[in-house]
Amino acid sequence: MTGVAQPLAPTAAPGRPQGGLFAFGRFMRRREPLLVVLSLAVFFFTYALEPSFGQRGNISFLLADSMPLAVLAIGQTIVCLVRGIDLSVAPILGISCVSAGFYAQDYGTSIWPLIPLGVGIGFGLGLLNGLFVTYARIPPIVTTLGTLGIYGGLQELICGSSEINVVPPTYHTLGNGDFLPDVPYLLIVGVVVMVVMAFALWKTPWGRALYAIGNNIDAAFRAGIRVNLVLVSAYAVCGMLAGLAGLAWLVHIDYASSVTGSAESLQLWSIAAAMVGGVTLTGGKGGVIGALLAAIFLDVCTNATLVAGIPVIWNSASVGVLLIIAILIDYVQSGGYSLRQMFGGPLRARLAAERGGTSAGGAK
Amino acid sequence: MSVALRRTRNPATAQADPFEGTEYVPARYETRAVTKSFGGANALTRASVTFAPGEIHTLVGENGAGKSTLVKVMAGIHPPDSGELVLNSERLRGLTPRTAIQHGIYLVPQEPTLMATLSALENLFVGIIPRGRLPFSVDWKQMERSASAFFEQVGLEIDPHAPASSLSVAQSQLVECARALVHRCNVLFFDEPTSPLTAREADVLFELMRRLRDRDFTLGFISHRLEEVLAISDRITVLRDSNVVAEFDPGEATRDKLVSAMVGHEIAQRKRRQRMLAADAPTVLEVKDLTAPGQFTHISFSVRKGEVLGFAGLVGSGRTEVAESLYGLRPASGSVVVAGKPYAKRAPAKSIESGLIYLPEDRGRNGVFADVELARNITAAVVPTLPRVGPLLRPAAEIAMAEGAAVRTHVIAQSLQAQIKSLSGGNQQRAMFSRWLLAEPIVALFDEPTRGVDVGAKEDIYGIIEGISDSGIGVVMICSELEELVLTCDRVIALYEGHIVGEVLGDEITLERLGSLIVGGHGK
Repeated sequence: MTGVAQPLAPTAAPGRPQGGLFAFGRFMRRREPLLVVLSLAVFFFTYALEPSFGQRGNISFLLADSMPLAVLAIGQTIVCLVRGIDLSVAPILGISCVSAGFYAQDYGTSIWPLIPLGVGIGFGLGLLNGLFVTYARIPPIVTTLGTLGIYGGLQELICGSSEINVVPPTYHTLGNGDFLPDVPYLLIVGVVVMVVMAFALWKTPWGRALYAIGNNIDAAFRAGIRVNLVLVSAYAVCGMLAGLAGLAWLVHIDYASSVTGSAESLQLWSIAAAMVGGVTLTGGKGGVIGALLAAIFLDVCTNATLVAGIPVIWNSASVGVLLIIAILIDYVQSGGYSLRQMFGGPLRARLAAERGGTSAGGAK
Repeated sequence: MSVALRRTRNPATAQADPFEGTEYVPARYETRAVTKSFGGANALTRASVTFAPGEIHTLVGENGAGKSTLVKVMAGIHPPDSGELVLNSERLRGLTPRTAIQHGIYLVPQEPTLMATLSALENLFVGIIPRGRLPFSVDWKQMERSASAFFEQVGLEIDPHAPASSLSVAQSQLVECARALVHRCNVLFFDEPTSPLTAREADVLFELMRRLRDRDFTLGFISHRLEEVLAISDRITVLRDSNVVAEFDPGEATRDKLVSAMVGHEIAQRKRRQRMLAADAPTVLEVKDLTAPGQFTHISFSVRKGEVLGFAGLVGSGRTEVAESLYGLRPASGSVVVAGKPYAKRAPAKSIESGLIYLPEDRGRNGVFADVELARNITAAVVPTLPRVGPLLRPAAEIAMAEGAAVRTHVIAQSLQAQIKSLSGGNQQRAMFSRWLLAEPIVALFDEPTRGVDVGAKEDIYGIIEGISDSGIGVVMICSELEELVLTCDRVIALYEGHIVGEVLGDEITLERLGSLIVGGHGK
């Protein structure tokens, strides 16, 4: 090889402090610690207003209550990573919930044999989404809007006008009981799912392919990644997790009907949690830890508004505000915009900043 | 008539001849010591150029010399970092595309930017749609009447209601020209308008340019084709590495003078690589009768171990299409043999496996994963073979691998964990080389390997390519810069409109020979 070999020097940027407060500041700019701090802040603020909010049982309840959403949001994150979106997670959760619920109610089946059932249903329905999106080339938002309706109808067909409201007592224990003080069983389920998916994202070729596809699908194809297969699998995994979330929902709420999932607009909540957790609609960014923390954060906020006496109708409004804030944060961080540029500066300055930022080395 | 009246932007005044009723003030438009840089790299350094009325003033220079940047600054698309823009001794400050048009300055861009789903008519008048009598209404009749006059003026015969997406590139360019006239502009810049055009289409454009010149318009033109530059230009300015290096008065320029000014002494210093391939070097790529209707036909060639084979040809001659179908991105009939094994049903993953790799010409669109770390960008094509424990990859081993590859191609970066978008163009391209070298290719297809990198990095990339071929990899190099082919190739195949029109060997590879082959000549 000719030329002078320039060593790849991982040197520190000149004049930039590396450790101490600076490192802490950089750490805090990540989404995950921010969510932990915000959750704690909201929690203690509400605790100060209403001491019963901080009781042992309530902490445990909050954590268990947020887990179905967390599992859903982790699935949504996977799909969002490849620039997709899945609006049909709510009825998938619902179908899994009512199917398992009927066995539980009519035969008193324990939860364990129902896990493959719920997860399998989710896998099948998610696979269908993935096949439509990938091979029929229908945009994901249209496909899953369609399947949101179709799966919703399927759920009504299965459930009819009956309801599931009698389940074995073990269900209630599993869905609301504690494994250790303040560590409900469901939290363990959520954390296990998160850890497995985090490893899958960061340490397997599959996860690598998800980020690559989300960043640049054409370059991914050219780098030899089997793009279609990975896309289908992303939707299938999202469906599986929605099915699992349906079981979590069943054991936690002990109730299911023909509108479970859709009635709570869980598809939108899962997208909100994924976005607040750090993924973007443009794909290729974010992770599952943020999704889990965001689900807890949203649940803490919802319950805090209840405790603080804010009418329930403001509930979704506050989630909307949080979502927009999350997207703004991402915009500022990724685009290099300052808030001043975004709101204060004249259009021209903004455009100039944009050009300077994006056309680096683009002189042709 | 005053300047204010020239800017009257109501096409309702347009009669059969759109020029009637309008007096243009001849415009002398100059830049004074304009500097513009992008991300630290200078695209334009203290450039002073004057465009005078009644002149076709051409900018020439290699890719990246700063021609496009200059006209974009003058049209208000890029604000200059320093320096002045002066129109008829009035200094223009804070120019935007909108105010540029109000001053009568219009840039016909490299790729026409019409709105695809709107009709030609609507595209023509967008921004100044004539109003009808009712509030918020549009005077369609008026629009149609004046549109036909404008289209006629630029020599365009189209259905004004056809959607812009149905127009050819040449027609779209003419619609852009007509739009400039609608806006009463008389300073027109053309940024490489002819590169996507056929010779006939280009002639139509040149005829229009000459007619506008005779009306005392101020015309700026950019082209890489020196023949047409010499034929049409009244004045020629040469840029090299962001500097204005020469200006030729009418009749002064010759092809040789232009080339030596464009190339400069830096590259001329570099000698053609002299090397002998071993007589028994085995064939590593054998292509027979590769055909994709409408793109290329009967392409047959072979590459030997360690050989650098150049593909010369204009944009649109089928160079990239041939490489993409070899790599499995486009279907094509014909047979391909890689390292003695027939290779049918091509696809990227299979190509990598069988030792054929392809470095795409558009790094940003088809190469880098912008938000992903440098290390993972480098290992992206070899993920299935990365070291791992069970199903899990071993990041430390992966980073060591990436580092080895990065050092081989001289990537300079803060850290392997830095996002690749933080690197300069040259370093991103070096990283792409290291990605594809990690795949241990037998045959490497490089498409415009030096595009969008600065001069220093270019030198380095020539070195990398030489090293690759010395290590026994067969290289196919597609390149628009004929000089680069002359410097690096052992053999060059010329393509013209989808056919192989010639093959040049060894010391017969010269600028003149290649230059005439790629325009369909015989190269004698």
